[in-house]
Amino acid sequence: MLTEFATVLVFIVLGAATVALMLGVSRLLQPRNPTAVKLSTYECGEVPFGSSWVQFNIRFYVIALIFIIFDVEVALLYPWAVVFQRLGLLAFVEAFIFIVILLAGLAYLWKEGDLDWVRTMQETPPRKGER
Amino acid sequence: MFLGNLESLKYFLPELAITATILLLVAAHVASKNRRSAAPALLSLAGVGASLLLVGLLPGGPGTSLFEGMVALDGFAVFFKALTALATIVVVAMSMDSAELKDKSQAEYYIFLLSVLLGMFLLAAATDIVMLYLSLELVSIPSYLLAGYLKGRARSTEASMKYVVYGATASGVMIYGFSLLFGLTGTTHIGEIGRGLALGKATLPMFLAAAMVTVGFGYKIAAVPFHMWSPDVYEGAPTPVTAFLSVGPKAAGFAVLVRFFYTVFATPDAAAGMWKFSSVDWPLLFAVLSAVTMTVGNLVAINQKNVKRLLAYSSIAHAGYMLMGFVLLTPVGLRAILFYLVVYLFMNLGAFYVVILVANGTRSEEISDYSGLGSRAPFAAVALSVFLFALTGIPPFSGFIGKVYLFAEVINRGVYWLAVVAALNSVVSLYYYARIVKVMFLEDPRESAVLPVPAFPRAMLCLLVLPTLVLGVYWEPVIRVAADSVKLLAF
Repeated sequence: MLTEFATVLVFIVLGAATVALMLGVSRLLQPRNPTAVKLSTYECGEVPFGSSWVQFNIRFYVIALIFIIFDVEVALLYPWAVVFQRLGLLAFVEAFIFIVILLAGLAYLWKEGDLDWVRTMQETPPRKGER
Repeated sequence: MFLGNLESLKYFLPELAITATILLLVAAHVASKNRRSAAPALLSLAGVGASLLLVGLLPGGPGTSLFEGMVALDGFAVFFKALTALATIVVVAMSMDSAELKDKSQAEYYIFLLSVLLGMFLLAAATDIVMLYLSLELVSIPSYLLAGYLKGRARSTEASMKYVVYGATASGVMIYGFSLLFGLTGTTHIGEIGRGLALGKATLPMFLAAAMVTVGFGYKIAAVPFHMWSPDVYEGAPTPVTAFLSVGPKAAGFAVLVRFFYTVFATPDAAAGMWKFSSVDWPLLFAVLSAVTMTVGNLVAINQKNVKRLLAYSSIAHAGYMLMGFVLLTPVGLRAILFYLVVYLFMNLGAFYVVILVANGTRSEEISDYSGLGSRAPFAAVALSVFLFALTGIPPFSGFIGKVYLFAEVINRGVYWLAVVAALNSVVSLYYYARIVKVMFLEDPRESAVLPVPAFPRAMLCLLVLPTLVLGVYWEPVIRVAADSVKLLAF
């Protein structure tokens, strides 16, 4: 078993050496002629403006989390569907329970209003218990 | 013997009961209009109670391996399931009384709480490193959410953030250790890993793997040097959550620590200690960890002004005391850990209960605001004194007996220096525990208004004081159960 770790070690050493070699050679051979345009951030050809340290709307993250529900569902159900006929009734019941649990999550999201992108702004209630 | 998936289900009823309760809570949350009703709390009380009952009905005999070797059903798992379910019931009762959580959405809080409980059940029983990792995350992730449950309060958010960062790092290091173990032995079942490691002579990778795994477990039990998160999290989180984190996940952390190391590293036939591989001085390593943990916890606690922070450091110190039982990896020492966890559950939850009741009235957790509590709320003050003296380990309270068992094993096996360090630490801890008692009874109250303690919390406090007193004089049944549980730790 230990010899297999040796393979990993060789891989790490080779990887590090390759990176060092390529950067080093390019450093030696490259003509250096920096201009302001060359040094600017690449933003798909647009002229960059502002700082990239801005706050994103937190709902992007919520949407990403919602996506996981469906993502996980599909990841499990695809292989399940392929061998479904061989697995029989038991697998059907298991998958059914799995989907029902995920549906409970979906119902929760719906109730919380996280599925609507356009929302009326709620007034923040006055904070209680702040000291 | 390994049971298949379907046959395992009938031994899995406690977990299924919790899962069903969680789903019901989600349904109740979606269906109901009133977010502050007491229904979710009652529903979770019923669910956890049912699950505790089912745990009691489970056969506690020699271990059965469920789900093709994923989780074990043995006396050890049953012991920790009962312990964590009991802690959760007390915490649910606390949460119903807490003013902090009154205007928060109730159902979601209990969903998180019960998810942690489900994770702890699985963690105490996991015998496969993948299952172990999954259940550790199931404990951690809802804990992060619970710590940050007071969304408007900056401290609570900070607590949650710190918890996530530390937790993610610790579990990352731990799973790296697991990957090394898998690489060394080619299996994920911890019994097989133990047998596989016994064959090889790979000392350094094995030590690395064990050290990395210890990081993950050490973070859960808040042992120094993996304790950094705990004071901030304990102070910032809502008090019932703090109480829960200081007992539940800590107990589950000890469960997994003991099961993992006992299964992988213990040998049943050594006289001096049970460590199988002598290439590294394991007893010394864990003895130092234990000594440092209790010393740091106690010394830093001396200067604390906030009760929750003080109890956080005290709970670090108690993790250090409990690690004493782990040093030699003998069944007698492990028995002492299990017994101490039972005792610790009652006294620590009790102390936090009083903190909640006082904070409901005074809106403060500063020790100076406890002045004159003896005259303002005599019942709560006396109860808190009992819990604090029990935490110190003064006879006739239960904490004393717990400490006697922990000390006894270390002294019997000749690790005298650790016993001396622990004894000195107990003296130090007396100072800061007694300081609270002094403030409560000897200092004049700043306000003279009586702090009301309603009937329900009063009854709950009685229920927590009672075991703290009784286990100090009649502890034999509990220590017997603890001894049996360790004996039934299945490989």
